[in-house]
Amino acid sequence: MPQFGLALLGVVAVIVTLTGQPIFVVLIFASALGAVVGVISGSVPVALLGALPARMIGLLEHDLLQAVPLFVLVGALLDRLPLAELLYRCGCRLGPRGAAAPRVSAVGLSALLAPMNGSVGASVAMLSRVVAPRLRERGAGTAETTALITVASTLGVLVPPSIVLLLLGDAMMRAHTEALSMSGGNARILNTQDLLHGVLPPAALILLIVGCIAAWQARHAADSHEPAAPLTRRDIALALLTVAILVALLGGVALGLFYAVEAAATGGVLLLAGASVSGQLSAAGLKAALHDALDVTGSLFALFVAATTFTLVLRVLGTDRWVQALFAHLPGGAGAAVATALVVLLLCALVLDAFEMIFVVVPILMPPVLARVDDALWVAVLSLLALQLSVALPPLGYAVMMSSARIKPHPAMRALLRALAPYLLALAGVLALVLAQPWLVHVLDRASATAAALSPEEVERLMRAAPRGAQP
Amino acid sequence: MNTLLRIVDRLDRASGRLIAAARWLALPLAMLLFLQWPLRDLVHAYSRQANDLAQCLFALYVSMSVTDATRRGSHLAPRPLASRWAQRWHKALHAAGLLLALLPWSAFVLVSSGAQVWQSLLQREAFPESFNPGYFVVKLSLWLLAGAVFVQALIDLARLCRRGE
Repeated sequence: MPQFGLALLGVVAVIVTLTGQPIFVVLIFASALGAVVGVISGSVPVALLGALPARMIGLLEHDLLQAVPLFVLVGALLDRLPLAELLYRCGCRLGPRGAAAPRVSAVGLSALLAPMNGSVGASVAMLSRVVAPRLRERGAGTAETTALITVASTLGVLVPPSIVLLLLGDAMMRAHTEALSMSGGNARILNTQDLLHGVLPPAALILLIVGCIAAWQARHAADSHEPAAPLTRRDIALALLTVAILVALLGGVALGLFYAVEAAATGGVLLLAGASVSGQLSAAGLKAALHDALDVTGSLFALFVAATTFTLVLRVLGTDRWVQALFAHLPGGAGAAVATALVVLLLCALVLDAFEMIFVVVPILMPPVLARVDDALWVAVLSLLALQLSVALPPLGYAVMMSSARIKPHPAMRALLRALAPYLLALAGVLALVLAQPWLVHVLDRASATAAALSPEEVERLMRAAPRGAQP
Repeated sequence: MNTLLRIVDRLDRASGRLIAAARWLALPLAMLLFLQWPLRDLVHAYSRQANDLAQCLFALYVSMSVTDATRRGSHLAPRPLASRWAQRWHKALHAAGLLLALLPWSAFVLVSSGAQVWQSLLQREAFPESFNPGYFVVKLSLWLLAGAVFVQALIDLARLCRRGE
């Protein structure tokens, strides 16, 4: 029966690819199939399936997941307000004149707004609306534009407090707890804040490389665009204020001053207040933004609900224990276990998106890996980099699918592959670098280790302030 | 048959109204979670109350959101191969998804959570850590979520049958 659980993953992959049915429906169908076969064959007691309601209530009271609708709301508001457009225009004007400026500004805009957008989908929507038309006006081809927007939208995966980063941090914390109970180790359990710090150095490197590639791709492009309307003092002041607020919010989360959910809520309230005061958001616009937020939240939570059901079925079938045994006997030591896990993640990414991987694959795959590897933070950062690469992988990567669908005329797959190739090589290169040099994820650990230790009063205040299930 | 279709249309309108109302929950949710920080660090009071109330609103919001995404057809689905298929295959697959996945799954959740949710509702269960009232709303939201999925699946199935006639 454990192997049947793995076969179900294959069933999901085949049905999703061939039929185009919503992934959450296919996951629920595979769960029902697994449960029925397990019960009929006598290997699964029906009572075990009764754990499903408790697991689903767990989703509804999950502190971290409260950030999801808030980030989605921020994304929907940004999509309707001229703020992103203003920041992009300022970025283009600040940089050196030429064809590279709009491309590099697109990367910068995404790095700044994508974490607040929270999801790759919201970033693609924002970049497709604000950046794509201007890049096309400046002579960029459809394939080049789609490739740039695909990669730029994935930057939010790495920069805190993106939803993918937070959810992976939570999933890795659970996996690490399980791994320590399996191995009997007593190391400190990895938390989301560790992951926020660990991922910053590779994220900075990726941002730099992606910016350089975007500028390099512009070397032959002629900047044929007419000079844009000059920026007023009010525009510049508003852009500076926005950047200051965003940096304060993102920095506050990265430094652990407040929780991601509070940063998202603050972003949402400030945007709503600003838009109301300036009169830039009509009642109809607000209604539409709220409806979009509910819609996107629903599509994400459908995945969470389906993945929760599916992992329960995999566990009652014993697939998780089978995978654990498989990894425990894998030859080649800890390095081989990590490399195998990354290959599995990237293979799964061909048919599953980042959220399904976090909810379906990570809970099964990571405990046995972390039981063999001492450096949980390194594994977590590598997983995040693999997830980022996976959403940009054509043809089924979430970011590629979204941007190809939104940018018209749709690019030919071969041209898109050619335009994406340097970016994908760069992402894979950074993944390989972190795989070879684990110290890269501990750069900020060392910096914080030299800082003064917390006083007992501060420790007590932090412990009391921590809400259920969330990591400060 | 006409009576059945009228019932389906009424259910559809009621579901649409409920969802349209649910979208406004995002505003108090954002406000409560925004206030949590100053309440905790500046006022030193009421932050748990704000958190618990936000928890209830969040659960209600999520319970309606899944069906909203279904009604607007915005669930994530890769379509490169499927777009070449004939429309009748899409309808057949849609019906199969409703009959073999969503209807049995939502019915199972409604039945298996029944006792737990009903008990929580009768006792007006409070939040276990803060003892603030309202935790039963979180459990009730599970019923709302599964119930909304079940009703929407029935509506969609009835519509598919009507078009197939």
